[in-house]
Amino acid sequence: MEYWKDETEPITAFLKLFEEAKKDEELSSGLKKVNQLIWFDYTEDGPNCSFHIDCRGGKIESGAGKPSETPDLIMSLSADDAHRSWSNKLNPVMAITRRKIRVKGSATGLLKLAPKLKKVATIYEGVLRDLGWQDKILK
Amino acid sequence: MHGNTGTIIGVDLSEGRVDKINPPEEWYLCYVGGSGLAAKYFWERGDLEADPLSPEAMLLFMNGPFAGLKLSGASRSSVGGRSPLTGHWGDSSCGGYFAPELRYAGYDGIVITGRADKPSLILIEDERASIEDASDFWGLGIGETNRGLKERYGKNHRTLVIGPAGENLVKYAAILNEGHHAFGRAGFGAVMGSKNLKGIVVRATRKEMAIAHPERFAELRGDLNLRIKDALASSVMRENGTAANLEGGAFSGDVPIRNFTSNFWEEMGEALAGSTLTEKYLTRRWQCAYCTVRCKRVVEVPDGPFAIPEGPGPEYETIVSFGAMIGSMDLAAACKAGRLCNDFGMDTISAGGTIAWAMEAFERGDLTPENTGGVELRWGDMATVVEIVLPAIALRKGKLGELLSEGSIASARRIGKGSLAYTCHSKGLEAPMHDPRGGGHGLALTYAMSPRGACHVADPMLFIEMGACYYPEIGLEYELEPKTDENKPESAVISIALGAIENSACFCQFADREVTIPDWVELFNTVAGYGWDADEMMRTGRRIFHLKRLINYRFGLTAEDDDLTPRMLEPARDGEPEGIEINFSGMKAKFYELMGMDPEKGIALPETLQQHGMTGESSRVW
Ligand code: SF4
Repeated sequence: MEYWKDETEPITAFLKLFEEAKKDEELSSGLKKVNQLIWFDYTEDGPNCSFHIDCRGGKIESGAGKPSETPDLIMSLSADDAHRSWSNKLNPVMAITRRKIRVKGSATGLLKLAPKLKKVATIYEGVLRDLGWQDKILK
Repeated sequence: MHGNTGTIIGVDLSEGRVDKINPPEEWYLCYVGGSGLAAKYFWERGDLEADPLSPEAMLLFMNGPFAGLKLSGASRSSVGGRSPLTGHWGDSSCGGYFAPELRYAGYDGIVITGRADKPSLILIEDERASIEDASDFWGLGIGETNRGLKERYGKNHRTLVIGPAGENLVKYAAILNEGHHAFGRAGFGAVMGSKNLKGIVVRATRKEMAIAHPERFAELRGDLNLRIKDALASSVMRENGTAANLEGGAFSGDVPIRNFTSNFWEEMGEALAGSTLTEKYLTRRWQCAYCTVRCKRVVEVPDGPFAIPEGPGPEYETIVSFGAMIGSMDLAAACKAGRLCNDFGMDTISAGGTIAWAMEAFERGDLTPENTGGVELRWGDMATVVEIVLPAIALRKGKLGELLSEGSIASARRIGKGSLAYTCHSKGLEAPMHDPRGGGHGLALTYAMSPRGACHVADPMLFIEMGACYYPEIGLEYELEPKTDENKPESAVISIALGAIENSACFCQFADREVTIPDWVELFNTVAGYGWDADEMMRTGRRIFHLKRLINYRFGLTAEDDDLTPRMLEPARDGEPEGIEINFSGMKAKFYELMGMDPEKGIALPETLQQHGMTGESSRVW
């Protein structure tokens, strides 16, 4: 991995990102509209390198690892590409076309959130700063 | 012959004659089918001096080699000829069910000249083809005509018909198949109208086709159909139609707003999105023959001022043309406007573009109530659009109808006052609903280079800039940033060649994103036995592009016409692309250089034509 020293680091950062994103009204209502259980699968970088968010039924919950229920959507990619993606440095359409991101399930809801990636990236930068990982911020 | 049947129906409506024609096999090999073969046929046998609405004008419908082969997205067809809207080469593609039926009947296309002395239709039933009286259908809308033809001939007969707009020679009249699928662009409905031709009806009772390597093809088709069906883009479009990503486009500045005066309108994205259409009005999903993408919509607006019964629903272009482009985010109104255009037989892009121009002209005072017969044109006033403007255009009613039925460019020329500057087109064809300032600067280049005029489906540049396709085997590996000119001419030369292949093979751009270059080559070789490699396929694509431009040159177009209007090139005023200049002249010069084209005449240089096996064509222009 180019940006992470072990498989726990990205999950720490991404879970915190979702905790912060939930506090943003626009992002939280956008996530609720997605109404899916999503597994972000980075296990190509380690067996525990994944997390999930559950935004079904008007809630937003997140947790490390694979969800216990069958996810509606699985996004599989490397932890480095996930870092680029949350930093808004990876064109998601291009990444899907080039199989850097592999999608299983309906991505229609998530597509609605794509325009909000810029805002997510701003929050993510704050998260990295809070964690003392300024060196990981992509410019 | 494999793939294509090698036979075309020739109809002379003035003489009442129907012939079977076998064009030289070499034309198929060099120009494939669809709009490529139509262009070759027109170049060789068309009257290039003829007014597009005169009896001498030639109208060509042409299939691609894969029609009817049960391959997802590959059973479309093309219409071509001299466009009455632009005055030069035009072509348009249509999905639906006509192409496979024509192919099963044994024909690759229909070439029509002359003018019938009374309203007529062409009836094709297997090897029999005849001209029939259609007087009782004249004046009817598309839906009623379609139903009437099915009652008369049978529900499995496939139809291509025009509505009142075509009969009244509206310059952007469309031709519809089964009342749902349109040859929308460039006004060929008016050409049919000028020939007193209300429709074409076809029925085949057999499905025999000669394929070069049936087993290899069957295997490839199985694989491709599965990949196309399972592709992420397909599932997204199946769920929410071609407007599935309208919100993303609205955010990036790709969706034109109020006649390209703005690139940002926050609430509009969700209001007009494909998902909103699904939630509110979708009753069924629909598809063209054999396509597993199923991007077509069937909708019903149950109540309200824009209520419509269940029937064909709008796709992305129609939603934006009758939405953001004219200052409305009323999705029900866009459904109603689209339905009206379907029934009148009018291109929604040119209709929306023309009305958007008129609304701006009215706001500026360049167009006055005196010009419009007292009709006030205000942004977002969909009641007026639906109740007054669209019927007036289709029926050429009153001053407003007479003016706007000619399209935005002719209307602007007529009223003057500098209003041409805010038309949005290239070569006289109103621009589709993707603003290159937000959507991608490469699109500005390909809009301008497209032989028929501003067009987003002449080639896959829109998808390439979006990142939705890449072709490493032919050097298209760039990771493009839409809002710059970097690597755009280099991408465009590949894109236009591939686009010419797509439109000659009549393969839908929404479905063929999954088709790799090796797949394309294998398809042509297994179906038609061309014996191509990727280089030869791309050379064929460029040849088709060059030929269409030679035709345009004969119509008087030069490099100067490869342009966009000032409105489309001024820096965006807001949104993501705000203030960014498009380096249009730089991209254009580089494109010309890479394509081996003459920077003044706008056509391929003699040596370029020679490299593409076009010495005969060259001698007619150099
Ligand atoms: S993708 Fe849509 S428009 Fe294209 S062939 Fe399939 S159903 Fe028709």
